[in-house]
Amino acid sequence: MLVKANAETCTVSSLCVYKAPQVFDQDDEGHVVLLNPEPSEDQHAGVRDAVRSCPTRSLSIESED
Amino acid sequence: MSTQTPVRYPFPWSPPMEIPEALRGIREKSAIQVTLPSGDTATMVTRYVDVRALFADHRLSRNISRRMRPDVARISADNELFADPNINPDPPDHIRVRGLVTRAFTARRIEALRPVAQQICDEQIDAMIAGPQPADLNEAFAYPVPIRVICGLLGVRPEDRDTFRHLVDGFLSVTKVPVEEMQKCREGLWTYLGDMIEAKRANPGDDLVSGLIKVRDDDNNRLSEHELRYWTQGLLIAGYVTTASQIGASTAVLLHHRELVKEIQADWSLVPTAVEELLRTQIMGSSVGTLRYAVDDIPLSDGSVIKKGTSVLLSEESANTDEEMFPAPFKLDIRRENNHHMTFGAGLHYCAGAALARMELQVATRALLERLPDLRLAVPGEQLPRGLGGFTEGFTEIPVEW
Repeated sequence: MLVKANAETCTVSSLCVYKAPQVFDQDDEGHVVLLNPEPSEDQHAGVRDAVRSCPTRSLSIESED
Repeated sequence: MSTQTPVRYPFPWSPPMEIPEALRGIREKSAIQVTLPSGDTATMVTRYVDVRALFADHRLSRNISRRMRPDVARISADNELFADPNINPDPPDHIRVRGLVTRAFTARRIEALRPVAQQICDEQIDAMIAGPQPADLNEAFAYPVPIRVICGLLGVRPEDRDTFRHLVDGFLSVTKVPVEEMQKCREGLWTYLGDMIEAKRANPGDDLVSGLIKVRDDDNNRLSEHELRYWTQGLLIAGYVTTASQIGASTAVLLHHRELVKEIQADWSLVPTAVEELLRTQIMGSSVGTLRYAVDDIPLSDGSVIKKGTSVLLSEESANTDEEMFPAPFKLDIRRENNHHMTFGAGLHYCAGAALARMELQVATRALLERLPDLRLAVPGEQLPRGLGGFTEGFTEIPVEW
């Protein structure tokens, strides 16, 4: 799985940090920081949940492989 | 758009423990016509897919001041909440101001507040245990908890909390109190906030308002004096009354369903999903606050088009009961997965305080059910009175025993 995050459009809902804390973090302003663009299998469900819930569609799964 | 006869909105609530009947069947079309308390007509978007997309659509402006847009619908005839002509709630001004505020609501900062919320909940429960039964859960717990949390975060003095609460209740009236009373509260709150800002300017503290004052005073271009006061007001109100109403109403619904309380008490890991499900069923209010104005034609999923110049409501409660998104949407399922409800909106106006509200609801729900294991309603749930005519419509009184 390959994940992308766009801090430019991030509106600081913090949802991704709660749903996949090993993959997403926030900078001091609260904008998304991608910790790991290639999360391990056990984190995929959390990442999918985070991607679906992002209010500004700032997260995406670029590849499932 | 069709020429359907407008239906009254907000929808009626009865019976008190059920999701409103009016939400069944309204998603056959992407939008219906509704009449607001002001008597003005608006187009209400009903389907999840459209509501989700339109929350993030720049063709819908949040600028609903009649001085800017003479033909925009009004929520109520007298209350101009969300319609301040000196505030631009659209980009780029909104993004500039929002960024100053949201940094106080990152997951890290919210988690740092969790023990604070826990202690406040414990103190309120200690006071309940020491006091008489039955008690009103609103007065004893649901209102004090969020008001103490947000006043601490923003830096309101504890002795000002009661004054503040009275002013906010009047301010948030749609039709609840006479117009003169509402105006008095609006002016009172505005004056109170001006005084508070001046006091903090002289004596800054380690709080969000002091932080905003510093931003304002360091760089005139980032935040005007009017914006400073307006957004302080917005944060105080949003941080208090919505969460208070939801803590009370969601607890009442849980207590009405004893079997759900037992399930949660047997497995505390259910608290977060239960909180989300109670948020989805949106038991404390309507979507009047989503009022927007179409600055261009906007096509919807059923092929119809919202015409430029239309006043638009995005129905969170209809999106939240959309069968296409939520299996068995009228069933309360505290284990519901993929619960991506619209209660906090979407797009760049997504509720800035959502993570704070979630944290408070989680802490409050567990604290009540853990420390008062036999907590129960002292009257049948069907008899709980709703407070109508305000921006929130939770229960006005929730008598409980334990």
